[in-house]
Amino acid sequence: MNIPNSSTAPTAGEYAGDEVSAIVLDPGYSTTRAGFAGEDVPKSVCPSFYGQSDSDSYLFGENAIHSPVGNLNTKNYWGSDGIVEDWDAATKLWEYSITSRLTGARAGDPAKNGLNDDPRANGESMDVEMEGVENNEKPMEDSPLLVTEPGWNSAKAREKYIEIAMEDWGVPAFFLQKTGVLAAFASGKASGIIIDVGASHTSVTPVLDGMVLRKGVQKSPLAGNFVSQQIRQTFKTASPEIPLTPHYLVKSKTQVDAGAPANATYKTFPVAPSASFRLNEEERVLTEFKESVVEVWPGPGRFTNGTNEEIAKSAPGRPFEMPDGWNNIFGSERFRVAEGLFDASAALTSEANPRPKDEWTIPRLVQAAVQHVDADQRPLLLANIVVTGGSTLLHKFNDRLNFEINAIYPSTRNKLIAPGSVVERKYAAWIGGSILASLGSFHQLWISRKEYEEHGASIVEKRCR
Amino acid sequence: MASNRDVRDMLGLPVGEVAPPTANKKSKKGGGTKRIQGVAREVAALYGERPPPVAVYEEKKTYRAKRQSTGPAKKWIQQPFTNPARPDGLVLKHWRRKPTTAPPVQEGEDAAMQDSEPTDYLESCADYVKYNITVDMPDFTDEEYDAHLRNNDWSREETVYLFGIVKDYSYRWAVIWDRYEWQALKRRERALAEAAQQGNGDTDSNALAALPFATPRDKERSLEEMKARFYDISAKLMKLRIPEVQMDADQYSLYETLSKFDPVMERNRKMLATALMNRNMDEVKEEEFLLTELQRINMAAVRLDAEREELRSRLDAPQANTSTAAGLQSFTSSTALQALFQQLFQQDRSKKRSSGGSNAPGRLSLSANDMINTPSNSTSANRRTSMALPPSAPSQTPVKTLSPHQEHRFAVSTHDRLTSGITFGSDKLLKMRQAKSNVQTQKIASALQELGVPEIIPIPTSKVADVFEQLVAKVGRLLDVRKVKEKEMGECRVLSRMKAARDGTAGVKQEGDASGENNGKKQGEGQDTPMGDSNEDGAGEDDDAEGEDDTGAQNTPANADRDDAEADGGDEDRAESRPQDVDADADADADDVDAEGEDESAAQTSRATSQGAGHKRSASELSDGSQPSEKRARK
Ligand SMILES: Nc1ncnc2c1ncn2[C@@H]1O[C@H](COP(=O)(O)OP(=O)(O)OP(=O)(O)O)[C@@H](O)[C@H]1O
Ligand SMILES: [Mg+2]
Repeated sequence: MNIPNSSTAPTAGEYAGDEVSAIVLDPGYSTTRAGFAGEDVPKSVCPSFYGQSDSDSYLFGENAIHSPVGNLNTKNYWGSDGIVEDWDAATKLWEYSITSRLTGARAGDPAKNGLNDDPRANGESMDVEMEGVENNEKPMEDSPLLVTEPGWNSAKAREKYIEIAMEDWGVPAFFLQKTGVLAAFASGKASGIIIDVGASHTSVTPVLDGMVLRKGVQKSPLAGNFVSQQIRQTFKTASPEIPLTPHYLVKSKTQVDAGAPANATYKTFPVAPSASFRLNEEERVLTEFKESVVEVWPGPGRFTNGTNEEIAKSAPGRPFEMPDGWNNIFGSERFRVAEGLFDASAALTSEANPRPKDEWTIPRLVQAAVQHVDADQRPLLLANIVVTGGSTLLHKFNDRLNFEINAIYPSTRNKLIAPGSVVERKYAAWIGGSILASLGSFHQLWISRKEYEEHGASIVEKRCR
Repeated sequence: MASNRDVRDMLGLPVGEVAPPTANKKSKKGGGTKRIQGVAREVAALYGERPPPVAVYEEKKTYRAKRQSTGPAKKWIQQPFTNPARPDGLVLKHWRRKPTTAPPVQEGEDAAMQDSEPTDYLESCADYVKYNITVDMPDFTDEEYDAHLRNNDWSREETVYLFGIVKDYSYRWAVIWDRYEWQALKRRERALAEAAQQGNGDTDSNALAALPFATPRDKERSLEEMKARFYDISAKLMKLRIPEVQMDADQYSLYETLSKFDPVMERNRKMLATALMNRNMDEVKEEEFLLTELQRINMAAVRLDAEREELRSRLDAPQANTSTAAGLQSFTSSTALQALFQQLFQQDRSKKRSSGGSNAPGRLSLSANDMINTPSNSTSANRRTSMALPPSAPSQTPVKTLSPHQEHRFAVSTHDRLTSGITFGSDKLLKMRQAKSNVQTQKIASALQELGVPEIIPIPTSKVADVFEQLVAKVGRLLDVRKVKEKEMGECRVLSRMKAARDGTAGVKQEGDASGENNGKKQGEGQDTPMGDSNEDGAGEDDDAEGEDDTGAQNTPANADRDDAEADGGDEDRAESRPQDVDADADADADDVDAEGEDESAAQTSRATSQGAGHKRSASELSDGSQPSEKRARK
C-alpha cells in the first residue's frame, strides 16, 4: 500500500479543496492581514497605520512606522464610519502587505534594474521584456484575490475594491466577502450571529446559510479603541496622574516602588516625532495593558450593580509596569475600563468623550440584530454565536457575554463559539477566507477579469451578496 | 598473507590434512546453534554452559520498506484549467503532476501538444461542476399573467422582481425577506425622477402627483405577503400545467400546501414564537420549575408503581408457585420465620450495598430498626444500628431520655444484649410453660390451671412475662419439692414399716418422740446424714422454710413478688407451718431485704435454733434435690 506522503496528491474528493494560489486580504483598523488561501495563518500581518512625512511618501510596515523620525505623521486609512477613507494609502498599504511577504515585488524592467547592464545579455533581456511588457506594473496578475469587507460597506466602496484589484493590481479573478460570513466559516458554521469586537468597531452580523442578513447588521464604535480611551482617562483622572510614556521615549529606567514617580532617563530627538506618532506608540502600551491587566466583570449582574464593585475591590489586583519603570497594582479600575462595552452608563466620560449611546453596547447590538431576523431563524442563530476580534481576548469577556445574552434570551439555547487560540480569534475572518478561496467549488464564484470588463465595477453588487 | 598452512605450522598441527577444516566448518554450520549477534550474544555468554531456562529469541529488526525509486522525481506543474460551469472561460492554475505522456485528447490537439510545451494544455476540470446548482422556478407567460395572476396589491414588475430574488436566493425566505428592496428601489427612482423634474420645472411634477397610481405602496413587504404571492402564483401555474385530476399524490399534496397557505395564520404563529422567545427570566424559571416538578412526579409515580409491583409479587408469589407454597408451611414457627427474616434482611442489605446504599425515602426496606422497636434506637432511619447497643453509650443521641415512669408506661426496656431477629411475646410465654418432659409440662399446666392462669395470656407485655416466668419457676420448684417430699415420705413409710416389723410393737404415738430424738441427734451429728432424718414434721417445716428462703435467694424482685410467690406456692403447706413462716419472715425482715439470700449463712449461724438447723438441712436437701434435675438437664 502506498503510504501517503507530502508528494502524493490528496485523493479525489477527500476534501473539496483545489487551491489556485489565491491571495486572501483581510484589512482591519489595527492590522491588515494577507496570505495565501489554504494556509492556516496569514503570512503577512502589517499595521494599518502608515507613516507619512511632509514629502508625501508613504512608510509601511512595523519597522518603518515605529521608528521615531521627526515630522512623520502616523495615519490610518480607515474612516470613522468603518469604511476605507484614504483609498490611495489603502491601495498602497495593501499592495505592500501582499508584495512584501507573499508574491515579492514584481521584477522591474530588466533593462533598467541594473542586473542586465552587461551588453552581452541584451538579447535575452529583450525577450523577457517582450513577454512582460504589460505586466510590469501589475503586481498580482497570477493570483485570484479574495478581499474581506465590513458588513456595512457602501456600494461605492465595494466597487472601489474591485477597481483597485482589477485595474491597479491586474488580478485574474476577484471576490469580495463580508468578515462576518468568513469568521463563521472559520468556526465551521454557515449560520450564526457573529460578534466581532475589533479595534475601531464592534459589529454583530447575523449570517444565514453563508449570507449576511443585511438588515440585522449592527455596528458600534465601542471596541478596542474605546477601551484604550477609557484606560487613558483612568490614567488621567488618577491622583497623582499616571504618566503614559511610550517605549521610544525611554533611554534607561531604574526600578522604583509601586506608585512612586518614574526614575528614568529619556531620549531626546533633534526633531520631535509628531503627536500622532506618539499616540500610536502609546496605543501599543495600552494594548499591553489590556492584555495583562484589564478584565471584564464576568457577571452575574453588571459591574455597578449592588455589591459587585465591592467584590471587585476585594479581588486581588494586577501589577503593571510602564516602559519608564513606573508601576502599580490596579484593583477595581481594571474592571471599570471595559465595562462600557456592556453598560453605557458605566463608561468613563469627559468633555471630549461624551457618554456612549445605550444602543452601542454589545447586548443591545445583539438584541437589535436578532430583532431584524425572521422569527423562525432566531433560535438557530442564537445557538451559533461566533465570537471573534482581538478585543474579545479581554480577560473574562466571554463569561460576561454569555451572561448578558442569557439574560436577554433566557428561553433559547444560546451557545457561544469562541476559538480558544489567540490566532484564530484575531484572524478568524482571514482564516475563513483562506478556507473559502481554497475550495474547488469556489471556482465558479470568482468574478473574472472578463466579467469585470464586460459589466464594469457594478458586478460586485450582483455577484458578491 | 598467512595461509592456512602457516597457521597450522604455528600451532604445531600436522600439515597437509585438508579434511579437518572442512569437517570443522560443516560441524559449525550443521550444529544448528545459530550464532547470536550483538548484545544478545553477551547475555547468552552469561548463562555459561547451561542453556537459559527460557528460550531467547532475537527479534528481527524491521525497517519500513525502502521507497521504491520509480525513476526520476515526478514533476509538478501549475496546470491551467477551466471550469465548465463558468460561462466566461476563466483560466485558473492549480498544481498537478506533470503528465508524462500527452493526455489523450482529440487527435488534432494531440498533434499540437507534441509540438508545443505541455503547459499549453488547458485542463477542463469538471470536478466541482456538480456544486453549481440552480433551483427550479415556475415561469409564466404574459397571457398567463394577464389571465390568471393579476393582483391589485402586486404590480407585474414587482412580481417579476420577487421571482428573480427567490431564484437568486434559492427559496431561502429569511434571506429573501432581508434582501427584498423593491420599495426602496422605487422610492429611490421616484426621488431621482422628482429631482429631475424639479430641474425641469414644477408643472410636470404636479401632473405626476395627480396621477391616481403615482403613489405605490411604500410599506415594506412582510415575509408572509411575499410567500402568499409566490405560493399563490405557483399553485395557479401548477393547476394550469397539470389539471387537478391528473396530478399524482405528490403533486397534489404540493398543490394543497401551496394553495392552502394562510398568511394570517403564519403571522400569528410567528408572533407566538416571538412571544415565546421573549419571555423574561421569571417566566422561564417558572416553566423550568414546573417541568422539573412534573418530571419528579412522574419519576416518583414510576418508582412507586415498581415498588408496589415488587411488593405485590412478593405477596403473590407463593400462590403462583406451588412449590414455594408448600415451602411456606415450614415458616409457621417463630424460629423459622426469623430465619426467613434474616435471609430477606441479608438480601436487602446486599441489594442496598449494590445500589449505592442510599436509603431513598419511601423505599421498602427491612432494616435493623424494624426489629429493634425501641425509640432510643430508632432515631436515625438511615443508619443501620448495631443490634447490641449498650444503653449507657449509645452511638447516636436518643431523641430524649425517658423518665422511669414513662419507661414503664411505654413499656420501654433496655437490654445489654439482644438476639437478632424477632420473637413474639406470646411465644415466649408458651415456651415457659414447656418443661423438659411432657409429664412435667402437664403438671405445670395443671398447676397453673389450678391457679386460674389462662392458657393464653391476653396482654403478654414484657412485665407480665417476667412475672409469669417467676411464677412458672416457682411452680417448677414446688413440683420438685413435692416430688422429693413424696419420695422421702415413701422412704419413711418403708423404714417405719421395717422398724415396726423389727420391733413388732411400734406405736404410732412414739413417732413424735422419735422425731424429737432424731432432731436432737441431728443437731449433734450435722447435716451430712440426710438419710438419718425421718421426721415428718421436720420435713414439713423444712419444706416450708426451704420454699421461703429459696424465693429469697433466687428472686431479686421486690418483696411484694416474694409475697405473691409465697401466697401462691405456700398454698399446700400454709396450714401446717404458720408459725415458722412468720418467724422466717421476721428473720428475713430483720436482715437486709435486698441481701437476703447472701446472708443465709450468717442468719444460720446466729440462729442456733431448731428451725435454723432445719433450715440448714433443708438447704442441703435442696442441693440434693436439684442434682437430679441438673442431671436431667444434661441429658
Ligand atoms: N490580548 C488582548 N487583549 C485585549 N485586547 C487585545 C488583545 N490583543 C489585541 N487586542 C486589541 O484588539 C484590537 C485589534 O483587534 P483586531 O485585530 O480584531 O482588530 P481589527 O480587525 O484590525 O479592527 P477592526 O475590526 O475594527 O477593523 C486592538 O484594539 C487591540 O488593542
Ligand atoms: Mg476586524
